[in-house]
Amino acid sequence: MSTSAADLLSPYDDRAPSGDPVLEVSSVAVRFGGVNALTDVNLTAAHGEITGLIGPNGAGKTTLFNVITGLQEPTQGKVYIDGREISRLSPHKRARLGMARTFQRLEVFGSLTAYENVLAAAEFHRSWSEDDTPPRDVAREVIRRVGLGSVAQARVDALPTGLARLVELGRALATRPKLLLLDEVGSGLNHDETEALGELLVSLARDGISVLLVEHDMELVMAVCDLIHVLDFGRIICTGTPAQVQQDPHVQAAYLGADTDAAEATA
Amino acid sequence: MSEFVSFTVVGLVTGCIYALIGTGLVVTYTTTGIFNFAHGAVGMFAAFAFWQLWQGWHVNAVVSLVLTLFVIAPAIGLVIERLLMRPLHGAPPDVLIVVALGLLLALVGAAQLIWDPNTFRRLPQFFNGSGFPLGAVRVSWHQVIAIVATAVAALLIALLFKRTRLGIAMRAAVDSPPLLAMAGGRPTLVQQSSWALSSSLAALAGILIAPIYQFNVILLTLLVVDGYAAAIIGRLRSLPIAIGGAIGIGLGQNYIIEFASGSGGFLSRIYNILPMVVLFVALIVLPQDRLRTASFSGAVPPRVASLRSSLVAGVVLVGVVFVLSAHLSIANLKIGANVFAFALILLSLVLLTGYGGMVSGGQMAFVGLGATMMGHLGHGGSLVGVVAAVALSAAVGAAIALPTLKMRGLYLALATFAFATVMDQAVFQQILGTGGSIQVDRLRIPGIPTTSDRAFFVVTAVVFTLAAIGLLAVRRGPFGRRLVAVNDSPAACATLGVNVNWTKLIAFTASAGIAGLGGVLLGGVPQSASAIDFAALLSLVMLLIARVGGINTATGALFGALTYAVYQGYSPHLPHLLQNAYLLTGLAAISVGRDPNGFGGRVAQLAERLRPDRSASETPDVPTQATGPAAVFLEEEAGLVHVGS
Repeated sequence: MSTSAADLLSPYDDRAPSGDPVLEVSSVAVRFGGVNALTDVNLTAAHGEITGLIGPNGAGKTTLFNVITGLQEPTQGKVYIDGREISRLSPHKRARLGMARTFQRLEVFGSLTAYENVLAAAEFHRSWSEDDTPPRDVAREVIRRVGLGSVAQARVDALPTGLARLVELGRALATRPKLLLLDEVGSGLNHDETEALGELLVSLARDGISVLLVEHDMELVMAVCDLIHVLDFGRIICTGTPAQVQQDPHVQAAYLGADTDAAEATA
Repeated sequence: MSEFVSFTVVGLVTGCIYALIGTGLVVTYTTTGIFNFAHGAVGMFAAFAFWQLWQGWHVNAVVSLVLTLFVIAPAIGLVIERLLMRPLHGAPPDVLIVVALGLLLALVGAAQLIWDPNTFRRLPQFFNGSGFPLGAVRVSWHQVIAIVATAVAALLIALLFKRTRLGIAMRAAVDSPPLLAMAGGRPTLVQQSSWALSSSLAALAGILIAPIYQFNVILLTLLVVDGYAAAIIGRLRSLPIAIGGAIGIGLGQNYIIEFASGSGGFLSRIYNILPMVVLFVALIVLPQDRLRTASFSGAVPPRVASLRSSLVAGVVLVGVVFVLSAHLSIANLKIGANVFAFALILLSLVLLTGYGGMVSGGQMAFVGLGATMMGHLGHGGSLVGVVAAVALSAAVGAAIALPTLKMRGLYLALATFAFATVMDQAVFQQILGTGGSIQVDRLRIPGIPTTSDRAFFVVTAVVFTLAAIGLLAVRRGPFGRRLVAVNDSPAACATLGVNVNWTKLIAFTASAGIAGLGGVLLGGVPQSASAIDFAALLSLVMLLIARVGGINTATGALFGALTYAVYQGYSPHLPHLLQNAYLLTGLAAISVGRDPNGFGGRVAQLAERLRPDRSASETPDVPTQATGPAAVFLEEEAGLVHVGS
């Protein structure tokens, strides 16, 4: 064994932090008809860190993920990976620069088993990268890390949503990304499961994988994130450490405002 | 100048009839969300009913017309709505496609049974074609009626939609029938009205166009299908644009004829195919309404056979064929060879449609190319012919795939069907002659007898078996996983670095190549090929037979082909009612074609039950230890997870 198990999951090229952010989003705007889904969004995700992206429902988090991964063309603005502009690249070319994502609305390969989902992704990676680690080794390691061993042989469309999201996480990991974009991967998990997810994310970051995390579970976000961006009505209203974000009046207004609305609705 | 005017009048008339057809499609689409592929057959059937009343039973022309337009046609529409479409509300889109195509074929078959195609019939123009001079040209009353009827129908429908309660309810119905019901509307009434109305429009179009062109079940159906281009130009929603497009196509066709009179044969061939070319181009160029799409491969496709079991099955199959071949008559040997030729064609659909989710309504075009190429370059059964056949079919497949890669579901089925129609009318009928045929030699391998009927039967079985084993091996491997993954979620694939279009292109090209090889075998059975062997409607027959047999298994391909070829061989001995393949295929599709896995899926299920441990999916040797979030999930919520094994 020349490569350790942990190495199989780590990014395939140099892991030394360069100081530059791995991801930079610059003045991105998206308009759907007359609706401004995103307005002048700027954010960064640093090497080997977990960056949070939070905000109320409909704030534009998934739209931003779609812009970053190339599924949604922005009305204006640019996206950079490792300082390289990728705004004009097709989704698969962006993925080949080392980013992978999960989807809020499940996009699993439903007619394949959990193991085959992960294996397929490892094979995709093998086909476009110079890395020649056998896909089966990568897939086995991913299955072990995520803990999918006992459902590896089950078709994914038969799995409960919480597990299917973890299959998507495993699938993304199998392409050995430097940047992992997770869109509510923890929804559908209970407290203990979320805690285990947090541990996994922290260990991935330690291995050099940068994570951009969209999540509603504040406990998880506050526990694992190094930096948090808060999105509200398509704008970044606050960027800071967990402590700073929790103190920020704009953030409190955004969340409390939502809470008062909810309170009124139930009253 | 007078020529120009008369071509304009004729073009305007054709255009108006296309407009009626397009209007009917837009009416059903805007109110029910269903693109009625069978619209052409409804128009054809109603025109024949009109002929029966007027010419067959000598009922007064006006009475016949009123009965057809306001009783028979709406009744057909209501029956379709009640028996087929209403029960399908909320059904997966692939089922809707299968049922609509099945209905098209069933109506064609039923019309052929009722009105024997070998009997010559004529549907006269209104007022027997008499007319009046208009300046330097003569205009017939039939033409006047066509133009006036279209104008009146378009106006009435516009008023209906804009000004009446029913019309407004019809427009509301498409999005959510339950919501309409809550708002006090009656969705069922609305849908019934729209099916009745669109059937009447199809009937009117059929009655008007049949006397101008040909009065033949299949040709008339295809004439009405030509009008689909108008609806696609109107993006299935806009009546004015659809009508404008229709008149544009009608005029274009007739101006081409005018120019063609000076320039020889080529342009006049374009006349026939122009509407289908426009349909194809419009599908590519105009962003279409998002139809509900889903994979055609079934929600839960059966497990893929393991290498071991496919090898065992292959050896058994070839062995049985070899033993059987010694005992079969020449006629039965040919039927047997046909079984495997068709099985190979259906196998091309297993790859493309079953695994890849791309619905092809034009597979016989590739089959025809293969057979034609073998006929031209494969003299004496040379291998060059086979290679050329596969290469050309694959190349044309790639050329058709490139512009259509983004299409899904019904749109792709329409585009490929348009392609098959163009190939049928502009290529096969020209190269092979409308009634003629060319010689297609059987492959000759030095030292091995391959050309006798008995040997050819075994050869076809071996070719199919090798192709099936190969296809299953591909399905189990990285490319197969990629193709299935692309079908399950193109978005996820793209974000994992997969070039989705390239993957689809490879599958399309390979499928066309396999179909081309199927053509080599199919032509080799009678050692000839003629245009009717590759008629456009047969592409739909192949798709539906593949579906009924099981479009995602090799077993399904073999079963579908076995049923079809044996039926074809023996149908002359069957009672009259059972002699029409279109009718039976259509009915089979409507009834059992809803099961996405077909017969092959049942067999696979049975096999799995008998030997549940023999799984062909990848088996990882992963420790099922309890770390990681998924492991915690499985520990705490084990009750939620039901794993089959």
